[in-house]
Amino acid sequence: MSIFSKLFGNNKSASTAKNRLSLMLAHERSVNIPYMEDMQREILEVVKKYTKSSQVHIKTDSNQNINTLEVEVVLG
Amino acid sequence: MAEVITITSGKGGVGKSTCTANIAVGLAQEGKKVVAVDFDIGLRNLDMILGLENRIVYDVVDVMEGRCNLKQALINDKKAKNLFFLPASQSKDKNILDKDKVKHLIEELKKDFDYILLDSPAGIESGFEHAIFWADRALVVVTPEVSSVRDSDRVIGIMDAKSDKAKNGQEVQKHIIINRIKPELVAKGEMLNTDDVLNILALPLIGLVPEDSRVVSATNTGEPVIYTNSPSAISYKNITQRILGKEVPFQNLEKKGFFQRLFK
Repeated sequence: MSIFSKLFGNNKSASTAKNRLSLMLAHERSVNIPYMEDMQREILEVVKKYTKSSQVHIKTDSNQNINTLEVEVVLG
Repeated sequence: MAEVITITSGKGGVGKSTCTANIAVGLAQEGKKVVAVDFDIGLRNLDMILGLENRIVYDVVDVMEGRCNLKQALINDKKAKNLFFLPASQSKDKNILDKDKVKHLIEELKKDFDYILLDSPAGIESGFEHAIFWADRALVVVTPEVSSVRDSDRVIGIMDAKSDKAKNGQEVQKHIIINRIKPELVAKGEMLNTDDVLNILALPLIGLVPEDSRVVSATNTGEPVIYTNSPSAISYKNITQRILGKEVPFQNLEKKGFFQRLFK
């Protein structure tokens, strides 16, 4: 990190590239699951039943061979 | 009469999509109606170079399969209002292309555009044949390296065998673009020079493009380098003029340094 980018924030083209790629790839890797919302609601109910948490984040991801569902439960 | 120009190469990574994007912008700046079609099915890239990746709804395969009409899929460039872009499909593979559907698409495009630029996959992949079959002119992008020159030679042979024009006893006009020339290495005798490449490939030259770090930042931001005044931008403007039929002298990118002249 050069002193200039520390001072003025990183507005070089590499960071633009990183942002564009992240956006693009996140979009291309996301899997379209039709029952996503229902499932998220039901998982949340189960989590609430056993814990005090009410925060559940769900993310889908996919590479060529495998589709995954990431469920993150924040325990207070 | 619309002209179909296929941009191709022997191996990947020599700058086909960069050439396609910059020549497309160049021709549009000259007032021509241009469409750039990304034919590299399954490996979209031209969208990122043109900075149009967020505007894609339909792709070239959707059009050919009749899921949408051509007008719905064409994306107008942000800056160059005469330039339209037809993206490659990201989810399909290259074997999906069908000769008659490709023909129909190109005939549709010919009604609306002066220049149809086809960004083709590298030469020996399937999909290449479709991009070359209907070409009036082919620009072969080559870098001054052994592997690139060798693969280009092979592709030029395939082109002669596989185009529609060749089948009818005509010939596709073929030209060479030498990309990513490092003048200081050429001057030192450590890189193939223009004459070396042209003697081996025996095709007319249409462009000499120097290695240019601005190309990297241009791709990073999605604004083609031709909008700047860097050395490669001048090269792309010259290529544009030559495509339009104007005689433009080639820049000398192989100037001998002071020391080389002294100690030759």
